[in-house]
Amino acid sequence: MKKLLNIQTYLPLLFGIGSAVILIGAWWGISLLTNREIPSPLMTWSVFNEMLATPFYDYGPNDKGIGNQLISSLIRVFSGFGLGSLVAIPLGLLIGSSKTAFRLINPIIQILRPVSPLAWFPLGLLAFKAAEGATIFIIFVTSVWPTLINTAFGVASIPQDHKNVAKAYGFSRWKYIIKVIIPFALPHIITGLRLSIGVAWMVIVAGEMLSGGVGIGFFVWDSWNALSLEKILSAILIIGTVGLLLDKGFDWLQKRFAFA
Amino acid sequence: MTLNPISAPVDSASEFHKIQSRPASIEVKNISVAFKTPKGTFTAIQDIDLTIQKGEIVALIGHSGCGKSTLMGTISGMTQPTSGTVMANGNLVKGPGPDRGIVFQNYSLLPWLSVYQNIYEAVDSVFKGKTSAEKREITEENLKMVNLWPHKDKLPGQLSGGMKQRVAIARAFAINPSILLLDEPFGALDALTKGSMHIELLKLWNLDNRNKTIVMVTHDIEEAIFLSDRVVVMNNGPAATIKEIVDVRLPRPRNKKDIVHDPAYMEIHDRLMGLLFDKFSIEDD
Repeated sequence: MKKLLNIQTYLPLLFGIGSAVILIGAWWGISLLTNREIPSPLMTWSVFNEMLATPFYDYGPNDKGIGNQLISSLIRVFSGFGLGSLVAIPLGLLIGSSKTAFRLINPIIQILRPVSPLAWFPLGLLAFKAAEGATIFIIFVTSVWPTLINTAFGVASIPQDHKNVAKAYGFSRWKYIIKVIIPFALPHIITGLRLSIGVAWMVIVAGEMLSGGVGIGFFVWDSWNALSLEKILSAILIIGTVGLLLDKGFDWLQKRFAFA
Repeated sequence: MTLNPISAPVDSASEFHKIQSRPASIEVKNISVAFKTPKGTFTAIQDIDLTIQKGEIVALIGHSGCGKSTLMGTISGMTQPTSGTVMANGNLVKGPGPDRGIVFQNYSLLPWLSVYQNIYEAVDSVFKGKTSAEKREITEENLKMVNLWPHKDKLPGQLSGGMKQRVAIARAFAINPSILLLDEPFGALDALTKGSMHIELLKLWNLDNRNKTIVMVTHDIEEAIFLSDRVVVMNNGPAATIKEIVDVRLPRPRNKKDIVHDPAYMEIHDRLMGLLFDKFSIEDD
């Protein structure tokens, strides 16, 4: 009862309402300043509702519901991200535990990491002869770096204490990897995955603008061609919300696997 | 300066003699350890000779940074000597081995493994030939020995310092080593916990018929006297050497409360104080 009367209980809600007011207010202001060229929140809201009313309609290859667009983007992101992680985690474990491997591979990482993943798109097209493969390929490239670097960092920062235990009690290499390296590096690996999925979700929009077909990025581009700014703004809100949910998911994982 | 003969109780002299006639457990021969640092070579310990008999408890004592942990490291095999050799049970020490159980300064438990798993993984690693049922039995037995069986599923982070150290000790005992190496094992514990840990350690040692050789690094004089048969006092580094070895001819079992009033105890205590603090006497006045 006391908790219900306490202002502290309602603070998160009040702050939430506050930031919504700021966002909608600023949006409204910009809409008014641009003479409604940028649609107002209210105009967008009705289009948004329309989009969400039938999210899975399918009227042929160039006209699908927002739910379909979202799902195909998510499938691409998770395929690329999954493949990227399968490469990044073992490679990170290797370069984190071996100085030689680190010195050989680190320069390659340093030179490739700053490259915009979109630059890989033509190579993807060449390799897979299809836009679909090329899009997954750029997500793959995107997701490798943060996971790789964080995994390697995690492994490299194993405290001497833990290494001493393994040494003193004669742990086999396998036991050392399973019982020491991976559990210690796991929080770092999850941080890497969290960063990777965040960047991948950003890159997919640009990637799909290049590749066309079905997807949230293509949807934005297609809406621009159809001059439906309401749809673009709705899509931006949806992309943001999905990104937030992905981030929260990995945040939960991070907390779940944190030890001590 | 040599130690004056101490008028020891009758039975302890013969007991002490018994230890001296046992086979050597650890032989440190002319050991030096030097580390390469950016500022050049740093010699931690130099030309150390020390023989420890089977079943003996020996304390290495000295000021911080005097190289006592380094000396301990050469016995455990965690540190490679620059020159000289260490023999453990007649074998040349080339690295850590299951004949030497180590209890580290900061417990060194793996924080993601439960108390039980921390011990089981060490047992599993050392006793490769045993079945998993046998290994589980060893783990259980050792956890019960330190009264931590009810806490077996806890993570190290949920335990107090004293409990963590008991896990670390149980782990070292679980691999049934003939030599037990304790590196400042009770340094982080409060005085009360420390006292009960001393008794617990001696209890475990007694259970094994005092057959295990125990070497411990400490900077606690009372702890060194209460536990050991000999106290090795080290000079201050760099290039530390053994300053003197003080015999502790006090009868066992020793009683924590009574021992401090024993004149022999007080004499050893004064002797150790003198050896450790002479260089600061000028600043005292």
